[in-house]
Amino acid sequence: MYYSKCNKQLQENFISNCERMFQNLRFYSLKNLLICFLILLSTQYLSAQDREFRLPVIEGKVTDSKTGEVIIGASISLDFKKSGIITDSTGYFQMYMPAGEYIIKISHVGYKPFRIKTQLKADQRLDVQLDDITKTLEEVIVSSQATRKDIQSPSLGVTLLSIKAIKKLPAMMGEVDVIRSLQTLPGVSSVGEGSNGINVRGGAIDQNLIYIDGAPIFNPTHLFGLFSVFASDAIRELELYKGGVPSRFGGRTASILDIKMTEPNLEKFKLQGGIGLVSNRAMVEVPIIKNKLSILAAGRLSFNDFWFKLVGPDNIKNSRANFYDLATKIFYRPNKNNTFSLSTYVSSDFYQVDSLFSLENVIAKRTQFNYGHLNFSGRWNHYFNTKLSVDVLGVISNYRTRTYAPDSVNRIELTNSINYKNLKIDFDYNPNEKHKINFGLSAVTYNISPGTLNQNVKSRIATVILPNEQSLETAIYVDDEYKMSEKFTIQAGLRYANYLNFGPYSHRQYIEGEPRTTNSQIGVEEISSGSVEKSYGGFEPRVAMKYSIGENSTIKFGYNRMKQFIQLLTNNTTPLPTARWKTSDSYIKPQQSDFISLGYFRNIKENIFEVSAEGYFRQTNNILDYISGANLQLNKTIETQVVSGQAKAYGVELMLTKKRGELSGWISYTYARSLQQVRGDFPELQQIAGGNGYSSNYDKPHTVNATVNIQPTVHHSFGFTFAYSTGRPFSSPSGLFQLDNKKYPVYETRNNDRIADYHRLDFSWTITNPSLKEKRWEGSWTFTVYNIYGRKNPYSVFFKSTPAGIKPYELSVFGAPFISLTYNFKFL
Amino acid sequence: MKNKFPIYLILLLLLVGSCITPITDFTQVSSKSFLTVEASLSDQLGPHKVKLYLSADKLMGSYFTPITRAKVYFTDEKGVREDLTESSTKGSYFTSIKFAGRIGGTYTLNIETIDGKKYKSQAETMKSVPEIENLLTRFEVQDNYAKGDPRRGGFNLYVDFQDPSTTGDNYQWYWKHYERAYICETCVGGSYDFRTNSCVQPRIPTDVTLNYRCDGDCWDITFSTDLNIFSDNYLNGQRITGKQVARVPYDGVSPYYLQFEQRGITRNSYNYYQGLNAQVQNNGTLFDVPAETRFSFNVKSTTNPDEKILGIFDVYSVRKKIFYIDRTQVPKDETPTVRTIQGDTFSCPPLQVGCKDLVQCSEGLFRTPFKPTGWKE
Repeated sequence: MYYSKCNKQLQENFISNCERMFQNLRFYSLKNLLICFLILLSTQYLSAQDREFRLPVIEGKVTDSKTGEVIIGASISLDFKKSGIITDSTGYFQMYMPAGEYIIKISHVGYKPFRIKTQLKADQRLDVQLDDITKTLEEVIVSSQATRKDIQSPSLGVTLLSIKAIKKLPAMMGEVDVIRSLQTLPGVSSVGEGSNGINVRGGAIDQNLIYIDGAPIFNPTHLFGLFSVFASDAIRELELYKGGVPSRFGGRTASILDIKMTEPNLEKFKLQGGIGLVSNRAMVEVPIIKNKLSILAAGRLSFNDFWFKLVGPDNIKNSRANFYDLATKIFYRPNKNNTFSLSTYVSSDFYQVDSLFSLENVIAKRTQFNYGHLNFSGRWNHYFNTKLSVDVLGVISNYRTRTYAPDSVNRIELTNSINYKNLKIDFDYNPNEKHKINFGLSAVTYNISPGTLNQNVKSRIATVILPNEQSLETAIYVDDEYKMSEKFTIQAGLRYANYLNFGPYSHRQYIEGEPRTTNSQIGVEEISSGSVEKSYGGFEPRVAMKYSIGENSTIKFGYNRMKQFIQLLTNNTTPLPTARWKTSDSYIKPQQSDFISLGYFRNIKENIFEVSAEGYFRQTNNILDYISGANLQLNKTIETQVVSGQAKAYGVELMLTKKRGELSGWISYTYARSLQQVRGDFPELQQIAGGNGYSSNYDKPHTVNATVNIQPTVHHSFGFTFAYSTGRPFSSPSGLFQLDNKKYPVYETRNNDRIADYHRLDFSWTITNPSLKEKRWEGSWTFTVYNIYGRKNPYSVFFKSTPAGIKPYELSVFGAPFISLTYNFKFL
Repeated sequence: MKNKFPIYLILLLLLVGSCITPITDFTQVSSKSFLTVEASLSDQLGPHKVKLYLSADKLMGSYFTPITRAKVYFTDEKGVREDLTESSTKGSYFTSIKFAGRIGGTYTLNIETIDGKKYKSQAETMKSVPEIENLLTRFEVQDNYAKGDPRRGGFNLYVDFQDPSTTGDNYQWYWKHYERAYICETCVGGSYDFRTNSCVQPRIPTDVTLNYRCDGDCWDITFSTDLNIFSDNYLNGQRITGKQVARVPYDGVSPYYLQFEQRGITRNSYNYYQGLNAQVQNNGTLFDVPAETRFSFNVKSTTNPDEKILGIFDVYSVRKKIFYIDRTQVPKDETPTVRTIQGDTFSCPPLQVGCKDLVQCSEGLFRTPFKPTGWKE
């Protein structure tokens, strides 16, 4: 086959090829031969060796590594140039070349390329087996269509991420970060770099429910939003439900992020970890009873605040910022039918800063902050038979924050906490191939201490204790995935959620027909302990259906209703770690969202590529906003501060994924809007932005994300991510006024302008096992550049008053490329 | 909730290359003017001032349009009326010199403009204010500023007082500083025209700066512009100590004259100022609260309830203290940052007829020819 292409060869690699032609005269037409001969003469290339008319030959056979079948038409390139040589119908190739060093690459569509560097002295045989990439594991971290359980599942808007692949993405400051990686997916965004959580399909931060092994996380970030709280080593996988939430989940109106911890290895001791700019990590897996019992512990400790001392300006030298997190898991499998696991998760953040304090009207010089989680979850899995299994989960989750100023007479200590307990029993029943039934029940208790100031503290500052709030959220649910035909599958589910707010509770009464203020309060009804102050409940239907058009395309439709009984009270651009959580009562109604989505999915080229298009619309009622100048901290009458409204989000997400091969990745475009309208019960007094709809802080209509991972060899991998989005909204003044000769901007409406667009490119290069030797200790280096071209992406626009007028300023968080190096190790 | 701690973010950001840059090509997406009322009444003798103007619709190069010839008056709970008259400064209305508010009295501000619009304030009751018991001065170095930076060294002023046992006491502190002025005008690139009483520049400006001496006694005035407020929420009935109320610059060693006011303000004023503070402190961090202007806070239109009005009617009582700060008690290695006067002082050449070199010290916001109370030479 190869001899028919002399013209091309002439262009590309003419010298060596012509030499070879001389050796194979019988293959060439006279015309081609003449051309080659002339070229050779003119280049005076004939050496002594050439005159002997015998060059060394490389020949060999290319076969499929799995099936052993020959691969026809595989192309061979030399020193990164196309040679034009391809394998013949028997998978055979042959090349005559002068002695020397060559880099040979053999590749074929659908196969992983093979590369070799060879010193050619004499004839050489090179038989190559190529791996079929359609049969290899997916390289790419996401799949918008598949859930792990079943590729053919009808659920929509569910994304599965593998932590192994997340680690290949460029990470800011070298810290592999789950929350940040999620933001490369369509429909997931944040207010800006360093914001305290994610916004999923136009939802607020507190509308996401984040689980680690079934225990909820109330604040997913360390360092005020710069890093997420999950030790990435201990994570096995993440499932993000942006839409199609199965009925076993509930309690939040936007999304569920289900993070599962690695099950410790039952056979081998394993140690891995890393040293980075921000933190040090270590994870150990120890089998105690082989194949039955083993434990895992993964921890992370930051030592970043030495930077403040080292390079910080004087004013932050005394500042401290430290965090740690520790996850452990005990896994016990006494027999084939039972498994037990106990997971714990502890996180803590500590800060100290000079002269700034978040509590008004308190005199303090130095303030310290401390917050963290303490979570336990125990799980028992039992298989009755191949058709029926049960999963029993018990969870205790505690999140507490503490703000304190150890100043002499004006000492303060402010704490608040949320205590969550959950018991859940979940059955899987697969009576036959057509039905997959999931049902169960769940009960959650909340006990919130919304704020305690100076309890048992000797200080001039008063003691303020807000009464605890206690409530119970129960749910019963059933889901059936019914495969009606080869083409049509429907998953229909129903969840009934019931919520009770219990006393002791002071139910304050207000004058009817007037907004609730401290002035319109007319009385208090004391609800005794154990009595129900208010109850809410309702059905939440969930439907998802899938229709296959041909073998590779599907259309899916989904509808969800979700209720949310707990909300975060926060008036800031992004919530503070110390912000107050509030469960529903008679004044603060539960949120409810209705969500529909429609999607089209198609696999191309034997599942190497996947294209998808999804559209969605969500309407949420009873979202909270706040009266102007709201005071949310230590406020006993919080109902006087809130105004309720509704939110609307809609969008279209387009995505192309290349799931396998040397180069993998995805590119996505999203058009999404997130709008709010807040009028309150007394619009003329309470409405925000004139009662008109306005953009939420995270409304960014256009988003483009691209992620590419290139892995040419086992030892090197390169990652690129690119992000673009429309700038987020901010409130722009319409003029200024003056009081006591100081100028103040006039804000007539909210979020009426946008900051400049955001875009950024990151790069990472990972070298695994640089010594190339097979050892038990395996090290790797990751070199990362965040924001390669150093764009000063604005985070926000703000205004300062000067004698001449109001001047606008822009704040950028990462205004320069940020380079970091991380060392990771594994000991197996 | 104040929730202002930009420093956290800033300290992290400093390390990773964050920056704040002025926006030079900013365009306003909306512009609008509103009636603004800046009115105050205290228990001191008058004149008390009410300023009426239309707010500016631009952020820079803005001007306020005064509202003139309006009928402005206060009424109290007994129906006693005090009329205000417009002064030569258009849009500024004053009570008589003898008029003073009464602690416990309840006052309403009424405005009628010449085009028939009527406005009325909420009735505000004047609260009492405790005596200033002690004012403590302490030299403190802000070591985040380098030596030589005028912001580095300074005297912090702390106030002590006893909060009354009643809840809901709100405070504001205000200070005024007087300093002898010797130069009454500075003309850059030109000279002073005594006919128009202003600096004039020739077509091609000169490269000299000329300072003109004052024609008599004159004082420069500086005053607090930050809204320093406090409420007794968590300290009711306590002795309040160590509340910082001012910072005096270390720009000399001479005694520093200060008129200091402790004001007892209404709940409304406190809430309003606190909202303004939140806005001013918004500096683009994650923890900013929504920038919102509170319209028609305690002054509302009676003819058109939908009209948005800016400003506030502020009713308060005052305790004053006039004193000098000793600026000699400082660590040895801290030196004052003395302001230097740029340019030359103009004086008439000898025997030149009709030449003037002394500029009149005219009464204004930042300068006065009248000797301040308690002034010692």
